[in-house]
Amino acid sequence: MINFEDELRKFHPSLEIEDAQDAIYNQDMTDITDLLVKLIREDRDNKEETKEEK
Amino acid sequence: MICYNCGAELTTNNFCTNCGADVGRYKKIVSTANLLYNQGLDKARVRDLSGAAETLRQCLKLDKSNVDARNLLGLIYFEVGEYVQALNEWVISKNLRPTKNIADDYIELLSNNPAKLDVYSQAVKKFNQALSNCYRGDLDVAEITLRKVLSLNPKYVQAHQLLALVYIHSEQWENARKELYRAQKIDVGNTITLRYLSEAQNILDMDDEGALQGKGLDLKGRKAGAELRAAGKKDLADNYAPQVIRKESKTSTVIINLIIGILIGLAVAYLLILPAKITEAREGVDESLKAAAEQLDAKTAQISSLEQDLKSAQNQNEKLKSDLEVYIGDNGRMTAIDSLLGAVNSYIENPEDMQTVADYLDKIDEKAVEESGESFKVVYTDLMSKVGADVSQTYYDSGMRAYQEELFEEAIGDLTKAYSYDNSNGDALYNLGNAYRKSGDTVKALETYEKVITEFPDTEMATRSQQYINELNVD
Repeated sequence: MINFEDELRKFHPSLEIEDAQDAIYNQDMTDITDLLVKLIREDRDNKEETKEEK
Repeated sequence: MICYNCGAELTTNNFCTNCGADVGRYKKIVSTANLLYNQGLDKARVRDLSGAAETLRQCLKLDKSNVDARNLLGLIYFEVGEYVQALNEWVISKNLRPTKNIADDYIELLSNNPAKLDVYSQAVKKFNQALSNCYRGDLDVAEITLRKVLSLNPKYVQAHQLLALVYIHSEQWENARKELYRAQKIDVGNTITLRYLSEAQNILDMDDEGALQGKGLDLKGRKAGAELRAAGKKDLADNYAPQVIRKESKTSTVIINLIIGILIGLAVAYLLILPAKITEAREGVDESLKAAAEQLDAKTAQISSLEQDLKSAQNQNEKLKSDLEVYIGDNGRMTAIDSLLGAVNSYIENPEDMQTVADYLDKIDEKAVEESGESFKVVYTDLMSKVGADVSQTYYDSGMRAYQEELFEEAIGDLTKAYSYDNSNGDALYNLGNAYRKSGDTVKALETYEKVITEFPDTEMATRSQQYINELNVD
């Protein structure tokens, strides 16, 4: 059964043109690829550090 | 595909031939992103826009540089009325690939049509306003505002859904269903739309059943039934539905309904149409009668008038006849003049022939003499003075002869004439009285005797007349 209040909470205001700029700037553009690259780089860095210590 | 590390073109190897970076996993991620894009595209093609949007977002989460997915996502946002989000995606897409990008065209399309842009902007503003009204509880105002929003942008799916929700809350199930159908046309796979639609449909179905069975369901029962039905507990939900009566066969129902319809039609015709027709016919007859009566009245009036004219003409005719009679009748003036002339002529020719003169003079009426002119009277009087006594004597002689022969009627006539020609002839008057007496006319006899006494007093005739009067009175 539909509860009006609960359903109403699921509705959010739509973006207005004035909010477009902020929305674009605040958008999180990180994707899996970025995470993967980050992980690979971190892994590489760790390996290099270990080599240096030895 | 390019290397994420150095940007060099990758080969079929799982490493970059330029920088040696491990690209195996990267390739899988990009492949999966492409797969998701394809799925999103398939969904968009069948208008499952919500599903397509979700898939494309997942695609972009895997590979943000998938410009095609971003452009398609923007297009989907624009189709459902979220034009700012659409613009966002296209702007980002343009930044990722500045040249040879269809996002350029989309942005240009919007930029070059400021009026349209303003309409979309108004629609979004009003939607947000309506949403605030809903939060505040002003659902009537929200309803009006949302209708306005949808008039500005009929493809605004969220507005359709919110309006449907408001209708559902105010139990306008049919209106809710209409709005949800409209939303479903734009985005067939939207779960919110489908859920609301299912709710409204359940309520309406139960309402239809209740109406069919002639029983209304109260709201609680309907809602409870709808809840259970939505929860998949159809058996329990049926407890809230009225008992289903087995319907009769359609054919017999149709025939019965036809017969009932015909009977109702006949009854209507008999009770409503026929009296009206009868009244109309009567009115027509009345009108005709009225017209005929009016004509009759006119004719009657005409007849009366003609009768009046006829009567008047007849009266005039009678008058003219009587006037003519005065002149040409037996006692008319012309006759009197002729008679007088005849008498004068006879006297001139043969003065001794008193009888002829008397015959002419008898034809002259006393009234005619009175009404005649002066000349006539002079001639008549003169003639009478000359012949009156002789004529009187002639009639006296004939009268006495008739008296003696006891022809009293004839005697009365002659003696009357004798006296009329000569008033001094007392004997004629006296014997006239005797003739009346002898004939049995006592009244006339008494009158005549009285006249004798009056005209000829102190005479023997008067004395005898008195005696006869006494005798007659005693009788």
